Amino acid sequence: MKRSLSSRISAWLVNISIAMTALRTNLMRSILTTLGVMIGVFAVTLAVGVGSGAQVSVLESINSLGSNMAILFPQPDSEGGRSTFERGRLTTRDARAIEREISGVVDVAPQLRSSVTIITSGNTASTSAIGATPAYGLVSNINAESGRFINEADVRTAARVVVLGPSVAEKLYGDFDPVGETVRINRVPFKIVGILESKGSSFGNDNDDIAIMPISTVRQRFVGDTLAGPDDLHVLFVGFQDGIELSTAKREMTELLRDRYRVRDRDGNPFTIRTTEEFIQQTSQVTGIFQTVLVAIASISLLVGGIGIMNIMLVSVTERTREIGLRMALGAKKSDIRNQFLVEAAVLCVIGGAMGLLLAIIAGRALTAYADFPVPIGLGISIGAIIFSALVGLVFGGWPAVRASRLSPIEALRTE
Amino acid sequence: MSHPLVATTNLVKTYELGGETIHAVDGVSLTIDNGEFVAIMGASGSGKSTFMNMIGCLDVPSSGSVEIDGIPTSDMSGDDLADLRNRKIGFVFQQFNLLARTTAVDNVAVPLIYAGKGGEERRNLATQKLIAMGLGDRLLNSPAKLSGGQQQRVAIARALVTEPLMLLADEPTGALDTRTSEDIMEIFQQLNDDGITVIVVTHEDEIADHAKRKIIFRDGKVIEDAPVTNRRFAKAQQGAEA
Ligand SMILES: Nc1ncnc2c1ncn2[C@@H]1O[C@H](COP(=O)(O)OP(=O)(O)O)[C@@H](O)[C@H]1O
Ligand SMILES: [Mg+2]
Repeated sequence: MKRSLSSRISAWLVNISIAMTALRTNLMRSILTTLGVMIGVFAVTLAVGVGSGAQVSVLESINSLGSNMAILFPQPDSEGGRSTFERGRLTTRDARAIEREISGVVDVAPQLRSSVTIITSGNTASTSAIGATPAYGLVSNINAESGRFINEADVRTAARVVVLGPSVAEKLYGDFDPVGETVRINRVPFKIVGILESKGSSFGNDNDDIAIMPISTVRQRFVGDTLAGPDDLHVLFVGFQDGIELSTAKREMTELLRDRYRVRDRDGNPFTIRTTEEFIQQTSQVTGIFQTVLVAIASISLLVGGIGIMNIMLVSVTERTREIGLRMALGAKKSDIRNQFLVEAAVLCVIGGAMGLLLAIIAGRALTAYADFPVPIGLGISIGAIIFSALVGLVFGGWPAVRASRLSPIEALRTE
Repeated sequence: MSHPLVATTNLVKTYELGGETIHAVDGVSLTIDNGEFVAIMGASGSGKSTFMNMIGCLDVPSSGSVEIDGIPTSDMSGDDLADLRNRKIGFVFQQFNLLARTTAVDNVAVPLIYAGKGGEERRNLATQKLIAMGLGDRLLNSPAKLSGGQQQRVAIARALVTEPLMLLADEPTGALDTRTSEDIMEIFQQLNDDGITVIVVTHEDEIADHAKRKIIFRDGKVIEDAPVTNRRFAKAQQGAEA
């Protein structure tokens, strides 16, 4: 006998109401069982949220570097061959060649780096100095909050000017805006021409703890004698237009530089190129693993909750054997009995799951508010949590339900 | 009528109990036609319930066969038997077997769930049957708020709600006092007059005498099968006949 859709829906509604009656009958027991699922769903949902939060904050900090970019270092890279270079090379002329010959390049931003000590009349701060050109501001999306950034004239004249990161400025001057003040950097007097916008921190690293000076100044005064050549670089940022395929650009740059350094085919590169795309891939792989591990650990508590469900459903089936026999006598098929108990388990789990989800959302908000860690539990995760709870009910309620459906009507009916 | 409503052939049910074989029903062949009112009698342990459960398709025979309404049941699946019980057989039990914390209407409507009827239709049909049983003012009571007689009438309404061909009642008055038992038997007589086949298991002669035919079991065998000679009628009908 085929049943119509409306009568099927009605049968499910009946099952839900039977389930509610049964759960209300053993209210305390139902609550305790639900608690297990609640804790499990809470743990898993929060783990998923924390994992995606980690992903989000990592991607944000990568994007804050500038979204479509390659970074070159003069470190020998064995990628694609045996490394045969003791020391890598990367020069201003390479930068110009890249700008000239690689398609889609918006800007190149060569850098020199050094550690410096900055002294005012009262305070001292050690920080990393970046010798840069105005292009660095464009490529890395760095702007001055107050005063100005390094300009072309500064670079041309190797001017003794510095733009401070907000952390350094605060360490030296507190709330006072020091633009126009003079400081001594490694005993050389510099004029502060600007303070940078805050870039926050990423990977526990304070992005605001820097001092930016003209690249020519840093070369002349701080690192000149450590370099292999007069126009060697420590880092080269290359910014690309949106829509440029970074892997292709990387291949083209590699070929260009290998040509320039006359690298033989079987030898590795005397330089290293990394793209933001690669950073994103690597870090999302890492945060993906992090999230998987978190969720796996949290799943154990959900497993325990599920076993609680199975246990209580077995008890429920045993207690209600006579009712099962009666329903069978009155015409219930195997599937009717099975569905009745599946729905009961699913209802238990969904109630627990909804409470767990609510707790996770609250905990996530608290983490965001008090620990400044984003825990995005959006509609997707929420719906997922509820569906997953129902699945837990179906999986762990499955065996008890099937057991109930296999009872013989007369045996069940005779049970006291 | 080309075929009987119930036909059993060499029906046997044995139980193994501690190495011993108990012949609960031991080779019963009989037929019951549409419209009959049969009392199945015998001492405790004589096999009445076992026989009843087999013709009600709740229990499977060890050997022999049961035909219901001309259809052999031996090869039917559990689900087909469930469907058969749902459509053709109404059960009334000694202990009423109502669902606790469930209203009279919802109790009566249970078989309709498995008949695939929608909520509205279930409520309407259940309400009609309860009114017919004189329980129109008890529709929303749960069993705990009903007397034994009222509970058994709810159970009868439930047995009738799918309009079955026959009513099987195993000791339906076993938990009731004499007066209430009479009321229940009067209901059975009326239902039988309206055309439904009634089969009642009892060990009391006063109850059995309400039926038209008496089948007596002993040790799993039928030892007597005869019409009731001095049929007993409930009070109302006695008055009408006098
Ligand atoms: N499930 C069972 N297991 C073992 N023996 C049973 C079972 N059901 C009934 N019997 C035995 O079968 C015989 C008939 O039982 P039953 O049909 O219940 O008798 P009645 O209903 O006439 O009192 C009895 O001896 C009883 O002990
Ligand atoms: Mg009996």
